[in-house]
Amino acid sequence: MASITPVIELSGLEVCFGRLRVLENLCGSLSGRAIGLLGPNGAGKSTLIRTLLGFHPPRQGTARVMGHDIVRESRVIRSLTGYMPENDSFIADFSAIRLTRMMAELSGLPPRLALERAHEALYYVGLGEARYRKIGTYSMGMKQLAKLAQSLAHGPRLLILDEPTNGLDPPARRRMLNLIREIRDSGDVQILLSSHLLYDVELCCDEVLILKQGKIAVYCNLEEERKANMKFIELETDGESAGFLEGIEKLGCECALYGGRIKTVLPPGIEIRDLYKVAADCRIRIRRLDYKRDSLQDIFLKAMRGDEDGSLQTQV
Amino acid sequence: MAVYKRKFSPYQGERTPPWSRWLIIPRYAYAKVFASRITTAFFVACFVWPLICAAVIYIRYNVSFLETFGLQLGDFKGVLAINARFFLNFLYIQGFLSFLLTILVGPGLVSADLSHNALPLYLCRPFSRTEYILGKMLVLLILLSAITWAPGLLLIGLQTSLAGLGWLSEHPLVAPALLVGSAIWIVTLSLLSLAISAWVRWKPVAAAALFGVFFILPGMGQIINVTLEVDFGDIFNIIMVFFTIWAWLFQVSFRGDLTLVEAWLALSGFCGLCLLILNRKLQAYEVVS
Amino acid sequence: MASIGVQDRIVFQNVSKFYGEVLGINRVNLSIPAGITSLVGPNGSGKTTLLNLMTGLLQPSQGSISVLGISPTEPGQLFRRAGYCSQFDSFPRRLTGYQFIYGFLRIHGFGHPKADELTWQSLRQVKLEEAARRKVAGYSKGMRQRVKLAQAIAHQPDILILDEPLNGLDPLARAEMISLFQQLASSGLHVVISSHILHEVDLISDQVVLLDSGYVVAEGAIRGVRDEVKEHPAQILVRCDRPSQVAARLFQEDHIVEASLHEDQRGLLIRTRDSNRFYACLNRVVLEDQVQIETVAPADEDVESVYQYLIGQNGGAA
Repeated sequence: MASITPVIELSGLEVCFGRLRVLENLCGSLSGRAIGLLGPNGAGKSTLIRTLLGFHPPRQGTARVMGHDIVRESRVIRSLTGYMPENDSFIADFSAIRLTRMMAELSGLPPRLALERAHEALYYVGLGEARYRKIGTYSMGMKQLAKLAQSLAHGPRLLILDEPTNGLDPPARRRMLNLIREIRDSGDVQILLSSHLLYDVELCCDEVLILKQGKIAVYCNLEEERKANMKFIELETDGESAGFLEGIEKLGCECALYGGRIKTVLPPGIEIRDLYKVAADCRIRIRRLDYKRDSLQDIFLKAMRGDEDGSLQTQV
Repeated sequence: MAVYKRKFSPYQGERTPPWSRWLIIPRYAYAKVFASRITTAFFVACFVWPLICAAVIYIRYNVSFLETFGLQLGDFKGVLAINARFFLNFLYIQGFLSFLLTILVGPGLVSADLSHNALPLYLCRPFSRTEYILGKMLVLLILLSAITWAPGLLLIGLQTSLAGLGWLSEHPLVAPALLVGSAIWIVTLSLLSLAISAWVRWKPVAAAALFGVFFILPGMGQIINVTLEVDFGDIFNIIMVFFTIWAWLFQVSFRGDLTLVEAWLALSGFCGLCLLILNRKLQAYEVVS
Repeated sequence: MASIGVQDRIVFQNVSKFYGEVLGINRVNLSIPAGITSLVGPNGSGKTTLLNLMTGLLQPSQGSISVLGISPTEPGQLFRRAGYCSQFDSFPRRLTGYQFIYGFLRIHGFGHPKADELTWQSLRQVKLEEAARRKVAGYSKGMRQRVKLAQAIAHQPDILILDEPLNGLDPLARAEMISLFQQLASSGLHVVISSHILHEVDLISDQVVLLDSGYVVAEGAIRGVRDEVKEHPAQILVRCDRPSQVAARLFQEDHIVEASLHEDQRGLLIRTRDSNRFYACLNRVVLEDQVQIETVAPADEDVESVYQYLIGQNGGAA
């Protein structure tokens, strides 16, 4: 299964541009259905992706993608990978079907099969009749879908998506994120998603790799982080909340007010029902009760602010 | 009854042999090239001169044809002399036509891929820059070959069949000269047009730049000649370079200012520069300084 | 043109803008108070038109606009108090970050010492001091975005009009800029932001304006907007250990429209016509029936859901 065999293995990977060290001593083993790649601008995310695809040779160290060495078996890797670049990437006077076909053929598919799979991919991403029009006439959302289709048509085992929701309006964002989750859930492809939007990464990814200044700042498993957060509760109430706050503090809960919501940590022995009892006593209603859901935001901020020497914290 | 849900599936089937993949580029390019009526019409028009030459060769050896018009062979001795100069003139004309064809076809080949950053899509596949360039060059090489040495060799064949093998032993260098002369011309044209469109990225400007290299650059060469009082300024004049080399290949006299060595050096310089430009400009990612 | 001298709001009165035959916006009426207002809508819905009208870069085909009492036909006055950050990524060539901001401040009429001080202040606010002396052409996308923002806030305007200001920023920078906007808004500024990232809009906005195909579909605080969409009963998601029992109890109430059980046997999606009575009822059920509650959350009170209801899947150009 996908989560057992690591999809990317890094062994002391180092990449330089001239004298500038862009990636330094990256080590680790990434597995999981969907891996998020995060980091501030200039941290090396795009460089890492390009190195894995074989566009940059490493100065030192190496890496393996799906078991293949990135230097010696680069062509094998590229035939098993689909890539969706961040920036606009298309041939203006080709139609989507023509571009997808050609790209599928370049990946090694026989021409007739390439045509079939191109249509399948375009249908899967939701480009209907528009696939026969030139890509130069497409809206931003359609161009992104065409980019996604060309990355899928040859049936890769690893899909690398660089800012897939860039420039999309809300309905197009939804569609793209739903598609990504569908692909992830199909179980046959692993995804590496690089994005600035924590929301997207949190929604789609199981594991997260955070880079900072060319080194790994954090690598962790989101599911486990979420489970660990179950004692942190966020509440929203209807009615006068001062008395309620007093009441739950008396029970031993630490509270903080934040943007109209109450954040609290339940001490051992106290249950959610006790909060409801307090609410009933104060004659207010609890409108919202949820676990703290911004674990990724916290992880990211902690990674950026703390730990200056950037040593690897593998929390898998 | 069954409901089929759309699904994504990885591909496990057979793959085409890697060495053949560079041929995908010309296949797709030709579909586009011949979709244009102007280009197709022009391409067909490029065969007019070879047909005329074939007619001339035929007339030369069918004196009776002339006599039906009441003409004598002696009247046309000069024009109907089928020798090295005849084929050199053929190369001049077809060479010029192939230059025009390159301007029609060349710039669109690479600039379409570069203007919207499509190169990463090619290179993130088991496909290298070398295969990409070779594929693009093949588009032009085939088209230009079809109007230069291919009809040329056919004409030589026609001549030999009409005049006998003796003609061939009298003019042994004509066939190789035509072949080599055409080959270096079309290779240079292809490299130049690819390099320029890789650099400039915008089709109409690339076409203009190609024109400029052939017709404006010589002007600069002349300026150098005059101001520095030398005579190697002509190395910037591609046309002069080729006339010099072709004249040597066909062993025909040509009075130009370039020596043969200078011409070959200039040619290597042009091609080397093109390869350098292609190497710099065709990257898998946008280089941000 | 009737004078609409409302001094503390951005007012649009019956404004329409056509580009020849093509509709930009039609019969828009808005009154935007201080605080953070987000403009949301699909591409082509008129957001950029609206922002351009607000700043006077476009003149309306019809109707009148007043920005804190100033008409956009007086750009000299308006831009003294308004700052604008466009969505486009182009800059005058060869300028450094410092020069870019300083130059505009001088145009505003500040003398050198004041302009210098304000430039450094705005650079500090967007955390770009170290890179200020480098050419903008060499900046990363995120840095270019920040220098644009700095330019918009440098002259300490009362109104900030920002077209997709977080585009290209990494998560840390997003969080920092969001807190900057919140800081500015709480000091009384009118901050108008156009954005596609709905969950961020939810997080930071005091009010929202939803646009679709040139019409304002809804405006106001998001909870208020949601309550007004009465065709869609409130959806609330409850996760507990005995959802079917809770559902059975809830069905005894008359305001419950629908209850669906999630396949994992722990989730219950309720649709109700009166959410206040529902919460009161749920609180009672939890205590009386000893139910173990995991989470309770309104499923559709956010901008994303309202967007779905009012604008739908397609919205705007396909």
